[in-house]
Amino acid sequence: MLRVTFPHIGNCYIPFRTLLQELGIELVVPPLTSQRTIALGIKMAPEFACFPLKVNLGNFFEAIEMGANAIFMAGGVGPCRFGYYGELQRQILKENGHDLEFIVLEAPKTHPLELWEKMKRYFPRHRLHDISRAFSLAWYKAEALDRFDRLANQIRPRVNQVEAVDLLQESFYNSLDRACLGKDIKRIGTEALRELRELPFELRPKPLKIAIVGEIYMVLEPRVNFQIERMLGAMGVEVYRNIYFTDWVRDQLVYSIIKPNWRKQLSLLARPYLNSFVGGHGLETIAHTVESGINRFDGVVQLAPFTCMPEIVAMQVLPTVSRELSIPTLSLIIDEHSAEAGIKTRLEAFVDLLAHRIHRGRSKAGGRKLEALSGY
Amino acid sequence: MKIGIPRALLYFWYGNLWERFWKVIGWEVETSPPTDHQILKSGVELAIDELCLPVKVFLGHVRYLAPRVERIMIPHLIKVEREAYICPKFMGLPDLVRHALPSLKPQLEVIRVGPKQTDLVSCLEKAALNLGTTKSLVYKARKELRQPLKSPGQQMSEWFQVNNGETLGSKLTIGVLGHPYCIYDGFLNLNILKRLSSSARFVTPEMLPENFRGVGSGKLNKRLFWTMGKLQFDAVDWMLNQVKVDGFIQLVTFACGPEAIVGDLLERRIRDLKKPFLRLYFEEHSGEAGLITRLEAFIDLIKYRSRAC
Repeated sequence: MLRVTFPHIGNCYIPFRTLLQELGIELVVPPLTSQRTIALGIKMAPEFACFPLKVNLGNFFEAIEMGANAIFMAGGVGPCRFGYYGELQRQILKENGHDLEFIVLEAPKTHPLELWEKMKRYFPRHRLHDISRAFSLAWYKAEALDRFDRLANQIRPRVNQVEAVDLLQESFYNSLDRACLGKDIKRIGTEALRELRELPFELRPKPLKIAIVGEIYMVLEPRVNFQIERMLGAMGVEVYRNIYFTDWVRDQLVYSIIKPNWRKQLSLLARPYLNSFVGGHGLETIAHTVESGINRFDGVVQLAPFTCMPEIVAMQVLPTVSRELSIPTLSLIIDEHSAEAGIKTRLEAFVDLLAHRIHRGRSKAGGRKLEALSGY
Repeated sequence: MKIGIPRALLYFWYGNLWERFWKVIGWEVETSPPTDHQILKSGVELAIDELCLPVKVFLGHVRYLAPRVERIMIPHLIKVEREAYICPKFMGLPDLVRHALPSLKPQLEVIRVGPKQTDLVSCLEKAALNLGTTKSLVYKARKELRQPLKSPGQQMSEWFQVNNGETLGSKLTIGVLGHPYCIYDGFLNLNILKRLSSSARFVTPEMLPENFRGVGSGKLNKRLFWTMGKLQFDAVDWMLNQVKVDGFIQLVTFACGPEAIVGDLLERRIRDLKKPFLRLYFEEHSGEAGLITRLEAFIDLIKYRSRAC
């Protein structure tokens, strides 16, 4: 019997669990990413591999301890290193005595039916009805999660007690994870949103607006980015995350197939600064920074794992964007040696800087002054 | 008109082709000198810290050429074969240069190769036509480039073969792996080829015969999507089965993205076949003493091993 596991990315274990269970797979969800996961991962992974690879490897080790014997993950064909994770991780696990089966979901090489054959082999419940049900339930959950996270980020700087939002978030995640009917998911989603809106808040001057851009894993996984959204929220900042799981799925798995120039809007935004696709989320980082600059955000925080190639290209370009659109940017590079205190100090300094900048702009000209400030 | 070609990155594969093309077109060509301390320093000043050393060196070369020529050729190599990329940093190279050196923007002559048209000569022709070269000259250049050209990398490894290999008397052969700019840029890798050639023969991936291309990388479970990674796998296969090398040295720059994955896979393959393997990292702070010690120790190890077996 296959006992399948998958790597963690943010809260996506909730929809993944529904999806795979509905398809009749026996599932082992690895424990949420912790310091132990990271320690297990970095022991075996190559030194300069990117951070997500190491964390995922730790997830696999922990899942194997719980009895998993097959791994389900996505693949790709470059130029980002993510496409080769599966093969490298398989070899590393094999070397450590775990000869697991890797079920890598990627674009079929020879014939479109290849993917279908693969699904038929691994999924016990593969009637069309089961598949559509599984996907729609998982999609509902993913949407509910993203809707909640979006609202939570906006509400955090406004409520009296920030902890209340976090508590609500935890309980929402738990009850959503347990729900298995479409109507339950819908009910839990709307109820959680209502509760969030009913939290006591007070009227304050407009909070700072900061956009978070960067590499998808770092942005989506709060246990790796030191819960940057909560941290900023507690500092009284309204956070706009630019990458959500549902958006990513829609773009990469649906639009990229049916809409030939789905990336056009992003590449047009990025064109004055970055002319070519550089793999990963490099282009998106620049495009979203430009967008935030045009929309008069107060600042942009870029998250990247150490040695991430697309983000490094973006990082070299960012100071120009920052200067020309007068939007301050902060690049945070995270790896296993990053510490919460270091990140927090830099974020606090950045937020102070932004607050000061706005204050100065208001006192002088009434409106927000256009001025040059680049930094990271 | 005078065009400058930076002696960095994939110059060591395509440099001679570029030079000959621009000469036939009727331009004067100036290639920047081999990397020296000044060039490295001026490149490092411009780049953010996270950028890899070869790209910093490239920026230094561009900066060296800027006052000396009218145009600087920036190879924008996205893909040089159909199903493999070079590296994300090569894909963003013109943008990196533009943002590091904003004043040079009108001087840059970007030759874009890929993602659809992967033939280097056709892309050069297109750029030349855009610059106002007549069609007949372009046609002449194409004819001229039809005969195979040796790359600077090949020339350098052959030079070492002729000048050191024969007189040496040592029977050891070492396989040198790595990206071309790590192997052939003597300043970047602290003259490792010269040091190596005084005690052993060596082979490099650029010496791979044409008919062995695709053999080693074809044996991988999953198709690799980096050109330079593929070449190294082909080279390892050839070195193991045809050249029968005694050990491998891999030259990697600090925090090189693709090499983190490819290097690890290579190391595993070499370890499975029980061959000695040494990986040397290079960065702007690399010191000679540490390198020499490690190299000597490695060569001693191979010597003892070949005697014992």
